Amino acid sequence: MEIKINTGILSSNDQTAVENKKVFDQTGLFVINMMGSPGAGKTTVLEKAIDILVDSVQVAVIEGDIYTSKDAQRIEKHGVPVKQINTGGACHLEAKMISRVLAEFNLAATQLLIIENVGNLVCPVEFNLGEDIKIAVLSITEGDDKPLKYPLLFRESGAVILNKVDLVDYTDVNMDVLRRDIIRINPGIQIFEVSARTGRGIGEWVQWLLEKVKEKKIRLPKNRVFL
Amino acid sequence: MHEMALMAGVFDIIKQYTTDLEESRVTKVTLVVGEMTNAVPEALQSAFAVYSAGTVVEGAELLIREIPLTAECMSCGWAGKTEKHLFICPQCSSLGLELKTGRELYLESLEVE
Ligand SMILES: Nc1nc2c(ncn2[C@@H]2O[C@H](COP(=O)(O)OP(=O)(O)OP(=O)(O)O)[C@@H](O)[C@H]2O)c(=O)[nH]1
Ligand SMILES: [Mg+2]
Ligand SMILES: [Zn+2]
Repeated sequence: MEIKINTGILSSNDQTAVENKKVFDQTGLFVINMMGSPGAGKTTVLEKAIDILVDSVQVAVIEGDIYTSKDAQRIEKHGVPVKQINTGGACHLEAKMISRVLAEFNLAATQLLIIENVGNLVCPVEFNLGEDIKIAVLSITEGDDKPLKYPLLFRESGAVILNKVDLVDYTDVNMDVLRRDIIRINPGIQIFEVSARTGRGIGEWVQWLLEKVKEKKIRLPKNRVFL
Repeated sequence: MHEMALMAGVFDIIKQYTTDLEESRVTKVTLVVGEMTNAVPEALQSAFAVYSAGTVVEGAELLIREIPLTAECMSCGWAGKTEKHLFICPQCSSLGLELKTGRELYLESLEVE
């Protein structure tokens, strides 16, 4: 006997992600999910960005890591609330891991929640967390072939941070090829070229992010009226 | 290797359909997997072997139906297979391609005896 099912393999995670999103939308909290290879510079970019962001918005951070809390300790030094999630072997964060730690934040007083996913170009992409936007971090030292080899991350992301541009002269990376391929995978994506080492380009990304935070807040009263 | 996590999802769904089925065995599980998903068929097969051991699914065949990545051009109407995940129209070079298939990831059916 054949039983027809037609149920998404990720439907349970997607459901939890929708519930997380409802929580975020209630107060107009803007949430980003940062993804990229181990060592791409996700935490360093965040450290630099947070120092500027805190002048305008309340920021909170969730750090995903397999075993350690090293990244959370780095973020903590910048004076923002941060929670570490250890996946205990899993190569990605899942929506229920996020929902479990939300109660530990004062979400009503927060405007921007940044989630740093486990360092991995492949696995985290399929697992929605309830975020407003996915952001890819790729260091140029990883090579200009990476977008074509790992297209899904770039396809699903609203922005990509090309980090470590201070090292461009020490590599054979072709920035034109890199930009061209990213756009061919996702024509609507925003590309930021930054160096978390020198700080170059961080300000542009922060401005863009603040704009997004504001847009979500502006949408809030309308939603409330129609509730 | 998130295929283990994906397979956990598959078995959660299977469980919902098989708890009432006494004395029967699942002989075939059919998954539909699009080309633009980060799920590798070989890794799904290994994860399937791990999860099915000791359950009503043990020994069943895992059939993976792969769906190619296809798109349609919003400018000139071209439709077809998208090569190398590049969303650029081979006919008019426009970047306005709309994805049609290739993001599927679902449990289609069970064969039960
Ligand atoms: N030269 C240079 N080095 C950088 C830059 N950004 C980060 N790094 C260095 O790259 C290394 C990895 O940076 P992290 O910020 O820890 O990378 P990550 O992506 O958070 O890594 P995981 O969390 O382990 O996946 C560190 O040694 C950083 O100092 C940059 O713009 N230029
Ligand atoms: Mg990090
Ligand atoms: Zn066309």
